[in-house]
Parts: sequence; structure tokens; C-alpha cells
Amino acid sequence: MIKKWIEAYSRVFRYKSKLKQRLRELDVYNTSFVAVDLELTSLNPSTTQITSVGYVSGRGGCIDLSSCGYHVINTTADLGQSPVIHRLTLDILKKGEALDEALHAFAPHIKQQVLIFHNAKLDLTALNSAFKQCAMPKMDVVYVDTLQLALYQLNKQHQVLPSNSATLSVCRQRLDLPAFNEHNALDDALATHQLFLAQLSELGVSKSDTLDCLYHTGAMGYVQLGGA
Amino acid sequence: MTAMAKQVEDFLNTSAPFDLLDDDQKLALVKHAELIYLTADNVNDVLKDRVSLFLIQSGQFSVKDSTTPMRHLSEGDYFGYANILEKHTVSLNVSVDSPGLVYCFDAAAVAPLFDIPAIRHFFDGLRNNALQSQAIADSNSMWLYKGLTDAIEKAPVSVDAQTPITVAAQLMTSQKVSSLLITQEEKLIGIITDRDLRSRVVAASLNTHLPVSQIMTVNPAQIMGNRTLFDALALMTEKNIHHLPVIDHQTQVPLGMVTASDIIRHQRGNVLFIIGELSKAENLYELARLSWQLPHYFSAHAKKAGDYDIAGKILSQATDIMTRKLIGFFQQANGKAPMMFAWLVYGSQAREDQTMGSDQDNGLLLAERPNKVQAEYFSDMAQYVCNGLAKCGIKLCDGNIMACNPKLRLSLDEALEEAKQWVKAPTKDAIMHFNIFLDVRCAAGDVSLFKQLQQQRAPLMQQNMFLAALSRHSNEISVPLSMFQKFVYEKGRKEKDVIDLKTRAVALINNIARIYALADGVTLPNTLARLESLSERSQLSGRDAANLRDIWLFLNRLRWRHQLENNVTNNRVSISSLSSIEKHQLKAAFKAIERTNQAMVMKFSGGVS
Repeated sequence: MIKKWIEAYSRVFRYKSKLKQRLRELDVYNTSFVAVDLELTSLNPSTTQITSVGYVSGRGGCIDLSSCGYHVINTTADLGQSPVIHRLTLDILKKGEALDEALHAFAPHIKQQVLIFHNAKLDLTALNSAFKQCAMPKMDVVYVDTLQLALYQLNKQHQVLPSNSATLSVCRQRLDLPAFNEHNALDDALATHQLFLAQLSELGVSKSDTLDCLYHTGAMGYVQLGGA
Repeated sequence: MTAMAKQVEDFLNTSAPFDLLDDDQKLALVKHAELIYLTADNVNDVLKDRVSLFLIQSGQFSVKDSTTPMRHLSEGDYFGYANILEKHTVSLNVSVDSPGLVYCFDAAAVAPLFDIPAIRHFFDGLRNNALQSQAIADSNSMWLYKGLTDAIEKAPVSVDAQTPITVAAQLMTSQKVSSLLITQEEKLIGIITDRDLRSRVVAASLNTHLPVSQIMTVNPAQIMGNRTLFDALALMTEKNIHHLPVIDHQTQVPLGMVTASDIIRHQRGNVLFIIGELSKAENLYELARLSWQLPHYFSAHAKKAGDYDIAGKILSQATDIMTRKLIGFFQQANGKAPMMFAWLVYGSQAREDQTMGSDQDNGLLLAERPNKVQAEYFSDMAQYVCNGLAKCGIKLCDGNIMACNPKLRLSLDEALEEAKQWVKAPTKDAIMHFNIFLDVRCAAGDVSLFKQLQQQRAPLMQQNMFLAALSRHSNEISVPLSMFQKFVYEKGRKEKDVIDLKTRAVALINNIARIYALADGVTLPNTLARLESLSERSQLSGRDAANLRDIWLFLNRLRWRHQLENNVTNNRVSISSLSSIEKHQLKAAFKAIERTNQAMVMKFSGGVS
């Protein structure tokens, strides 16, 4: 029993120190970031399937609009009520790509880059199971979660958070970013990227800093896609 | 493959001049674009050595990008274009006042777009800080300048050249037309008219089974669809014909026919026709009935910018006629006036820039102080005319600036004395009160009486102290732009993005024109006429005057269009209803007004404001 505790504790410790070390190597302004957003069939992490993926990368405060990518995936899963949200109906999905094709096209774009998500947990779970399902080569990724960054800021101001105070739109509104139409994977990815840049400015991160200055917010993490 | 995010596309679609580009051009532009979150921390690194066109989506920045002074910019504004247009490099100097998103288009991708005239024109205009307005020349008569494609109501009635004469005549009968277009492979090759059937068929006892090509007039006079009714009328008069085929200027396919009767019909819809009828009215009832047609008339016929330019003038002329008719009716019933009088109109009616919402502002000038009986006569007349105008749709003045107010029925001496008081003590309240009386015109009665007043009053109003007070007063209204050139909307309105163009902008130009005109001794009330008739000695440069005139016309178009499209009588124009290029023009207009106003304050009040 005690052994198990020690094991678990040391695993967490190893994870933390490894993450800190990786972050120290990454300059805020010389690191490539790629914002990724997935539209999913449901919010249940164990069964959800990807219906579309959008991504856009940038570096040094600039988002490269020519790097925008968008894939609709020909999923066979039950869509449930999800088309209401992301407006991808069965007809559109039928014309999409197969999951492994899309992942092969997508994977090179996220390699060696720090991923940006708004609510990383759900998207990473879905991405991880997709990687496994298609037997993609395993990939180590560092990520940052703009939702966690927003919560970190909000917790400084509120004892109890108002509901809906951390959705992508509301977070953007708080930082005076323009309104956009939500729930398209590419638009959400671009919007998330913009939000991240605005958050860096809000947090007072300067160009000489490395990413470990965000460690204490709890928004940073690393994970192995396609791994256990 | 690069995908284009919807928000990028949406933003380009609302950003003049890129809204003109087609999808492929937009995609090509986006392929060489970056979106920067510009902060005080990264601005110098990010912009270093970058030759690009920048378009602000959010945030506020102070920019020096050319030899012109520092500009304060915010959403929708461009910078960096001077470097691309002039192909030299002035280093960009940007300071971030509030961080935000800036689109950055690579110079190499943007440069080819500058070959598109509309885009080139847009940026040239920005660079020269000028208001981009198309020439305002053709505002003589809105009906004759109606486009032919709008004027022809029927689809063309045409037959092939091989059709027998009988069939053609039957078609003309069933379609109730007096002329027929003859085509070959869709192209117009001839025309036949009723007259041809009479003289070339019946009179010559021709076999009616022959093809129509035998009797048609070949290569008839024709006109392109992009011309105006006036052009058609000119051509028909010149050639002495009554039927003129209209063809598409690109495909040469016939679009229809203009006939002499079409032109007469349009003439009947002419506002001058209504005005002509107004002056024929024999009683108040008839006058009111005709007057109420004016708003319908404007909403049905005013379509082009040029129409709005003269709409105010027409409305003022119509109001003048109504006034004269009403005075006439009153005199018929109550006998001639006991002394000379002049019916004066003030404010917008004097300036001839009335809109649908303008109320009546008028007064009476009498040759001498009236006795009790005379005073009663004029009181009754004023009452009758003001109420009559209200019945004709010119609403009563809330501020009681009307001849039925005894304070506005002054004798010549009293009026002069009043002017002296204005000049002697031009306090803020006093100016508020008498500003409207400085735009004045005689609409009816004895003009010579009014001229006497003006002549004796002009030197008084040229006095420096008086002009200084007026210009200080004008400086109290500011254009609705914030420090960062954002529109400042009216507060406390249901609509969130409206600006009252009358009080916030048009009134300022009117003030400027009035003050320079008073200084120059110009007695005309009309703003455009004042600007035009300023002498060489005037302190307003010809260029500024011409610029103000363009702006005035532009603002006037916006508010007329607003009133007619929304069927309202206010001047609160919603900014979101403007096209992207109009928003830019409006900003440029506000800035120019602000500059000219500042210059005026400097000149007349020695900079003390």
C-alpha cells in the first residue's frame, strides 16, 4: 500500500519536474504554437468521436493565416444532438475524409509545436483515442489550455465563479477581442490562438520569458498521444 | 491547402476596399497574411523590417507611417500603405495604446491589387486624406437623369426578321404596343411602327404574308441601357422619332423600347409637375392634398445620390409656394394688407436644406410699427398661414419660431434694434437663441423691405467681437469621433449605433459657412451658395470651401437616404447600415469638419475657445 503511494507520488513528481524542464527550454517568443480545436459527437470522453478538426499555427505574437487547416471527418458514430451545435450534418460528414487520412495530414502540423486548446482535457482524450484507433506513431506534445489560464485569472477575482464565465466567447469578450461565429473547428482554433496571445499580454509575459512562467497557472501540461 | 476561417472572410467582407475582391483573390491575399496580436511588449520586434499593409481589427494605436503627422487609429483603419504606394520605406513608428489584433498583408501580395482602380483609388484617397466623392455635377433634374433600365417597364416585344407581316401586326395588337423590334439571332436589326404598317403596307397594298424585314426600318437609331432618359429624349428630338429601342451595352441584346408617351408619363411624375399643380391650387384643401404627395413622390423617385442633393431645395421651394398661396388665400378673404410686409423664413427652409422632418421656422417683417387694427390683421394672417402649412405637412415649430408668435412680427426698426442687441451682447444663451435667425430668406411679400433690413444689418454682423462669439459657440459642438477616431454614438437611444448627422455634422458645416459668409458680407442663406460666393478676400480657402461642399452633400445624401429608406423623419443614421466605404468617408468627413472648425476658431477668436 505504502509502496503504491510512493510510486504514485514519485510518478507525479517525475511528471512535474519533466514538464518544468521542458518548459524552461521554450522561449515564449521563439516557440511555434498551434491552436487546435475539435468538434465532437458528444461530451462523453469515453465514446466521443471527432467530426472535424481545425488548426492554425504561429510564433512570436503572429498567427500565420496561411497555416489554417480544416478537415471534416467521415465518422460513423452516432451524432446525437451535436449537429445542432457545430452544424455538421450527416450529409456534410459523409463527404468528409476518413479519420486516419485526416490524422496523417494533421500530425505533421502539430509536431514540434506547443498545442493550444480551449478545454484541453476533452479534446486530448478524443485525439488520444483517435491516434490509438488509427495506430498513429506515438507523439509527445506540450500543451497549454486557455480555459485554465482564464480560470486562473478569474479565481483571483471571484470566490465563486459565475456560470458560463469561461466559455471561449466570454473569455474573448473580457479581453476585448472581436465576436466571431462559434463552433466551427477552424474558427474556434483561430479564436483560441488569438485568446492565448491576448492572455499572454494580460498576464504580463514578456518576450524574454520562457514558458515555465505559466507553470504555476496549472494551464500547462504534456502528454503522449497514442500512448497509454 | 490553406483554409479560410469564416471570421477572416467576414472581416474582409466588411472592410472596404477588400469587399470588392472575389473569393479567389481573397484567398490569395490571406495566403500571405498574418494576424498579429500587437502589444507594447512585442510591437517593435514584430514590425521590424516588415513592409506590409496593416488593417486594425481591434485595439488602439498611435501610428506614424509616412511623412504626415502621427495618427491615432483603431478598428477598421489601415496603415503602412504609403510605403507600398510610393515604393519607399519610411520606418514604421507604432505605439500601442491598447493591445489588439492587426491583420498584416504582405506587400508583395497587396501590390498587384493596387492595379485595380477602385482599390488604388481608395488608398490614394486615404493617403491624400481626402473625401472620396464622385463628382457632383448632374443634379439638375432627377427624373430626366433616371437610368433607362429603370424607365422601361415592359420586356421587349420583338419578332424574328422572317416573321410574316400579319403575325407581327397581330402580336402588336395583342401586346398593345405601337412598335416592334425586329431581331436576327437575338441582335436588333430593325424596327417597325404603326406608321410603317400604314404607309408601307396598307397604302402600298403590300402582300401581308411577306416577312417583316421587307418593311422594317433597318439599323434604327438606338440607345444603350446604361444611358439616361434625358439622353433618350435628346436623341429622339434630334432624329424626330417617337420610338427608340434600348439595347444592353454589353451584349447588344434589346432590352425594350422608350416611346414619347413614356417620357410624358415620367414628366407627369416629375416633382416640378407637382410644384406646378401646387401653384394652381385654388383653396387650402387642394393645396394640402397636393402637398401630401410630396413625401410619396420622393420615396418613389429619389434613387441616386444626385437626387438627394436637390431634394431639400425642391422641398423648400414647395414650402415657399405653399406659403405664398396661403397668404394669397388669406388676402382674398380678408382684403389687402394694411402695409408692406415680408414673410421671412429661417433655418433649414432659408438654407433650402429641408428634410421630411423639418418644422416651419418663419416670421414677419413689417414696414412700420402697426396700430391695433393692423396688428390684428397680421396676427390673423400669421395664424392662418402657420396652421395652413401644418395642414400641408410642414409641422409646427416646437420652439415657437413662427410668425404667429407676436415676438416674431417686428417692424423694420425693431428688427434692426434687435440685431444691435445681438451684436452688443453675444452671450452663450443669446447665440443659442438667435443663431437660427442668421439664416434668413424672404419667401413671400415685399422683398425690398427685407433687402433694406439686410443692408443695414450686414455691417453690424461683420464686427470681430460678434464673429468671435459665434465661432466660439460653434466650437462647443464636436464631431462624433473619439480620440482614436472611433465613432461616438448617440447616448440613451434604443438603437446602439446611431449618429445624428444633422446636429453633429451638418449643423457644424452650416455654422462654418454662416460665419465666413457674415465676415465676408455675403447675405445668402444657403450653405452651398454661401461657400461658393465667398470672395477672394475670404479667409476660407477655395480648396476648403470645395471640400466642405462635398462633405455637406455627402452627409445630406446619407440623411435623405436614411429618411426615405426607413420612412422616418429623424436624422439619426445607423452606422451599421452604411457600406464599408461610406464609413471611411464619414470618418474622413468628420475629421475634415473638425479641422476646418478649429481653423475657424483660430482665425476669428484668436484661438481662445
